[in-house]
Parts: sequence; C-alpha cells; structure tokens
Amino acid sequence: MQQPSWDIIGNRKWGYLFSLLVIIPGIIALAVNGLNLGVDFTGGTFLDLRLEKDFTTGQVRQVLDAFGLGRSIVQKGAGHELSIRTRFLSEEERVKVLQALRGKFGEVTVLRADEVGPRIGRELRTIAILGVVIGLLLQVVYISYRFKSVRFAVAADLALLHDILVVLAAFSLSRKEVNSSFVAVLLTVVGYSINDTIVLFDRIRENLSLRAREPFDRLVNRSILEALVRSLNTSITTILAIGAVYFFGGPTIRDFAFGIMVGIATGTYSSIFTASPILVDWHLWSLRQKAQPAEARLPLVEPSPVPAASPSGGAGTTRPQRKHKKRRK
Amino acid sequence: MTSRLWLRLTFVVAIVLLAFQVALRPIRFEGLIPTFQPPRVYLNLGLDLKGGSRLVFRALREDASVEDLQGVKRIIEQRIDQLGVVEPTIEILSRQKRIVVELPGIQDPQRAISLIGKTALLEFVDTGTTQLPPGAKWSADGKKVTLPGGQSIALPKNVKFTGADLQSAQAAISDIEGPVVNFQMKGEAAKRFEDYTRENIGRYLTIVLDNEVISSPVIRSTITGGRGQISGGFTNLQEARDLAVLLRSGALPVPMEVEENRTIGPLLGRDSIERSLKAAYIATILVIVFMLLYYQLPGFLASLALGVYIVLILAALTGLNATLTLPGIAGIILSVGMAVDANVIIFEKIKEELRLGKTLYTAIETGWRRALVTIVDSNATTLIAAAVLLWLGSGPIRGFAVTLTIGVVASMFTAFTVTRVFVDLVAGTRLAPRLEAIAATGGRARAAA
Repeated sequence: MQQPSWDIIGNRKWGYLFSLLVIIPGIIALAVNGLNLGVDFTGGTFLDLRLEKDFTTGQVRQVLDAFGLGRSIVQKGAGHELSIRTRFLSEEERVKVLQALRGKFGEVTVLRADEVGPRIGRELRTIAILGVVIGLLLQVVYISYRFKSVRFAVAADLALLHDILVVLAAFSLSRKEVNSSFVAVLLTVVGYSINDTIVLFDRIRENLSLRAREPFDRLVNRSILEALVRSLNTSITTILAIGAVYFFGGPTIRDFAFGIMVGIATGTYSSIFTASPILVDWHLWSLRQKAQPAEARLPLVEPSPVPAASPSGGAGTTRPQRKHKKRRK
Repeated sequence: MTSRLWLRLTFVVAIVLLAFQVALRPIRFEGLIPTFQPPRVYLNLGLDLKGGSRLVFRALREDASVEDLQGVKRIIEQRIDQLGVVEPTIEILSRQKRIVVELPGIQDPQRAISLIGKTALLEFVDTGTTQLPPGAKWSADGKKVTLPGGQSIALPKNVKFTGADLQSAQAAISDIEGPVVNFQMKGEAAKRFEDYTRENIGRYLTIVLDNEVISSPVIRSTITGGRGQISGGFTNLQEARDLAVLLRSGALPVPMEVEENRTIGPLLGRDSIERSLKAAYIATILVIVFMLLYYQLPGFLASLALGVYIVLILAALTGLNATLTLPGIAGIILSVGMAVDANVIIFEKIKEELRLGKTLYTAIETGWRRALVTIVDSNATTLIAAAVLLWLGSGPIRGFAVTLTIGVVASMFTAFTVTRVFVDLVAGTRLAPRLEAIAATGGRARAAA
C-alpha cells in the first residue's frame, strides 16, 4: 500500500537483537540490584517535606543520625523540598524527628506522608503479586481463546513477556521506585500490548485467508506494513497524552506515567519486531521439520477465522489479486 | 439526508445534552421550575487530590471482638467530631481487627493521629508517699515504674479511679497553673472521691494516662462534689483541650496502633489538581493537533467526537458517584489517547476500502463494520486489566481502574455512534471530497500510481 516496502521480517534478527540489548542488561540489573521497592512493599515511612530554609542532605542526615536513622534515604528536591525514606516509625518517633527538623531548619510542612507497617507491607506485596499473576493469567486465557491457534497465542504470550521484561528492566535500571501503582502500570501495559498484537495478528489472519499462496514471511511483512499506520498513530496519540502527564503532571504521578510510556512503546515494538517474527520463525522451523511445506502451513489457516477475516463478502475474491500485482511489481 | 440519519443525529444530540446536564448541571430543577446556574464539575475528589489522611488502626489484642471494635468506632467518631473534619468515614474491618479512618482535608494530621489513636485510659493511682515526675512510665503489668532518667523502681499500680468515673472534662487556663483540665466525676464516683480524699490527706494521687504519668499532686484537703483539676504537663492550651476531648470521649475498649498512614497535605493536593488539569489540557490539544494534521477533515470530526467523549466520561463519573483520584485523572488522559485508536482503526479501514475503488458511502459502511470486531476485541484486554485492578487495588489505583473502564466503554460508544453520525452527515454535503481525501493520507505514492 502506501508504506515504503520495508523488509521488517527479512531484518528480524535486528529486532531480536535490539530487544535483547534492553532485556539482558535489565535481567542482570534485576538479578544484581532487584527492584527499588517502595514503602508500600517493604513497610516503612516516606516523608515528603518542605523546609523553610535551604539545607544539605548531610545536615538532614545528622539530624536523623541522632535517632539511629542515619541509613535512611534522603533526597533533596526542587524548592527546599526534602524526601526521607526510612524504616517504619512509631508515631512518637515521627513527632520527635519532625520536631528535631523544625529545631534546625525552621517551619516544616508535611506535603505527603506514607507510613506502612510491616504487616501491611507484606499484605500489599501479596496482593500486588496476586494481582499481576491473576491479571496475566486472564490475559493468557483471553489470548488462547481469541486466537485459537497455538502459534498465534504463544507468539502473543512471548510478546507480552517481552514487554513485562522491558518495563521491569526500565524500572530496575533507572532505580525508579516500585510501589502499588506499579501493578496498575504492568497490567495496563500488558492490556495495551495485547491489544496491539491482536490488531496486527488479525490482519495477518485476514491476509492468510485471502492469499493462501503467498510465502508466509512475505505475507506477515505485508500485514505489518498494512497495520503499521494504525499501530503507530495509536501509539503516538497515546504517548502524546501520557507524555503530557509525565512532563506536566507533577512528581507524584511521574513514575507512573514513565512506566506506561515505556510500556506503550515496547508494546508497539514487540507486536512488530517480536511477535510477528516469532510467528515467521516458528513457521520456517516447522517447514524444515516437515518435508511438505504445504502441510506445515495448514494449521495456520485452519483455525476458524474471526468474523473480521471475511468482512466484505464478494469483494474478497477480486481484492487479493489487485493488491498482489501492485505489490509484486 | 435520510430520515434514519436524522434519527441517529437526534439520538446523539440527546445523549450529549443529557450527559452535559448530568456532568455540569447547567439547569437546576427545584420543584417543576428549572433555573439556570453556571455549569461546573460535580466530582468527588479522592484524598490524594483534596488532601487528607487515611489511617489504618489495628487492635493490639488478638481477641478483640466485633463489639470492641464498634465501641472503638463510636469513640473515634466522637474524637473526630472535635477535630472539625467534614465528612470523615470510619470503616470496621472486623476480620482483620482493623479500623480504617479517612479524614478529608485535615490540616493537622499529626494531631489527628495522636487524638484518634490514643487509648486514653486515664487512671488515678495511689502512690502513697512517692511523688512521680511527669513522663514516668508504668510497665504493662503495672508492677514497676521507669523514671524519665532511665532507672526503674518497683511500685505497684494501685488504681483508685479511672476515666470511666468522669462525667465531663473541660480545658481552661488557670492563673497559677497555666493550661489545665477541669473534670467532674459522676455522682457515685464523686462520693467515693470525697471519702477517699478525706482519708488520704498528705498522700500522692498520681494521674496517669496510658501508663504515663501526667502529674503527681498531693491531696491537701477533702475534695467535695467530685470536682478536680489536672494540671502540669501541658505546654499549651491545645494539649489541655486534646486531653479534655479524650477524657470526654472515654478510653478505647481495646488499645489500637497505627498500621498505615497515608497523608497528603492540602498543598500537595491542590498542586496535583492544578498540574494534572494542565496535563489534561495539553494532552487533549496534542492529540487533536495530531489528528487534524494527519487525518484533516475526518480528524476534525474525530476531535469533535473527542469533545463529546470527555463530556460522557464526566457524566459517567458524576452519575456513578465515582471518586476521582490522581491516577484516575491519568487514566482519563490515557484513555483520551487510546480513544483515538478506535477512530484510527476505522479511518484506516475506510482508507483501504476507498483505495480499492469503493464509493464513499460503501467505504464508510464497510470500514465501520470491519473495524467493529477488532475494536471490541482489542479493548477487551484493557477491560481485563482494569477489572483485576478494580478488584484488588485500593484507593487511588481503584480510581485509575474506574476511569480506564469508563474511558474504554465511552470511547467505543463515541466511535460507533458519534463519529459515525458526524462522518455520515459530512458525507452528504459539499465537503464529501475532503473526506475522500483520507485515501491520500500517509503517503501519496500509491494514490498517484
């Protein structure tokens, strides 16, 4: 069609390579550093304060040291803002810490305080893991139901895994805090990623039913190019929207927007450069396994196509040839 | 224009007007006479936007009964009353032995925590000839006292009266003592108090709150009428007032501890609203600009539909009495970006049909039909994600799931009714060729060929 005739499938090893370039350092970072779990999951106290006077983190640490809290994470933000992350403080302890800070730096305004007891921290962690596991299971079930074909389903699942790893890698490498809202990030990203894969795979199946004779890798490449505009346009509008949240929505929501942005980018990427190439490689692999190529292709066509695959009735018979010739020129 | 199109147009206009009324209430009905009022948003804001505290208290005794927790709730209600919080909510989670308190818009969460969470067990202890300094603490078993200096002495806690014997308590300023709390004992207790003070002149009657000594006065004379005064230990009137509140509401039947405290100061809440509104405007403008640049006239129609979409979301949130949180706003903004997706899918299908040489009407008809399944299916995955979050998430995250769900449903609705009507309308006018121009978007090479 209108798109340049990029050979995405022919160059798929670059797609795999790029994915690995992100995922492998990510896995290493995950293994070495793990995730930077926030107080939601570890239990503890997070204080976001605004002080009256200028200060250094060293001075704050001195104050904390007096309470045996010298190992707290102290960060200085814009406009005399101070954030402290430390163990779960009893009410008395917190009052004393705030008093000590007032004594040294003048008036202290509490912008935000998150205090999570160890028991609640454990509970939130369990709920988060449960949420991710159930969410993923439901998506995998939906994928199996939706595609009915093992290959399409597994390819979509792998793309999903790819996107989860990329988002985890992004949070591990950037040391961004992982808290309860991270579950929302993961599940939203997964939903979006599958959404994108579904639209692309539907196109492949539609073309499969119309052009059974075209080599599979060419057919997938054509499908990608046909679906590319929609895929990119949707990603662009969504990234524009969530990007506005990232840049203008304030620090409270920034990490959340960051995760979704990364996820949408990788969700789009993985449908094109991971899911579809896996489909092609699986096909080529099974071709090599079997003597008869025609048989190997059958299972791909066989699952009864979704209604979208045979949309415009009689038009289907004339359309493929027209397109076919133009493309093959 | 066909009569069916008129019908659909009327339907869309009716929906939009209804949504506008639900969301912004420009017309108020008082009895039968409608009056106009300036439209504004009627949304419940979550604690993260209006500021406030969410506190989770947990009973320190494993055997705390439901009745105990209900008692705690009643007392907490009375204490919160004194804080002047508008619309607090208190919820008992009896299985977890927890009580969740939400205090919207509270200015001084620190004071709230110490006021609500204190057991406030007041005891009058006969310490004989020993005077204890303020801050001295009894051990839990009541056998020894740890002095502020650190050393502990064996001294059994011989309790004579408790907070339950009090009828009332009032803070006041005394010329000599500074801030004090005057109390009045109940009739029967007042009589006992009189007898006791008569027989124990010269001894110390130490006043203890939650095992900590407030003051240790000496009994100078018989006290009649059950009137007494707690003095000393208050640095300001506020502290005396808080103690009076605690004494009036009574002691919690079970000691509670704070397990979770999420406080958003009023400053940050306001800041979040301002910033996220700004982000919402910018996001909407960026999306519209992109659609106009890329799809031109159809993009303009989709942008109009986006306006309808936003009114629909506001109406749904208002109608469902949902609470808007900061992640919830992010969810709306995200759904604005995703809402365009349905339009993009439809436009791309129409484009393909046009390029196959179909007439505009057929292309619109087939485009929408072909897009339906893809759009419904692809949105299902987002709905699955939202359903899990709705089920397991709490507070702000649930707000995100709510807006995302409403957003996805509303986006499908607008794409299939509103955008469709707009496009059909324009297809019947002189502007039709500009709709057909969509076939040329995204690279003109083939169109020219």
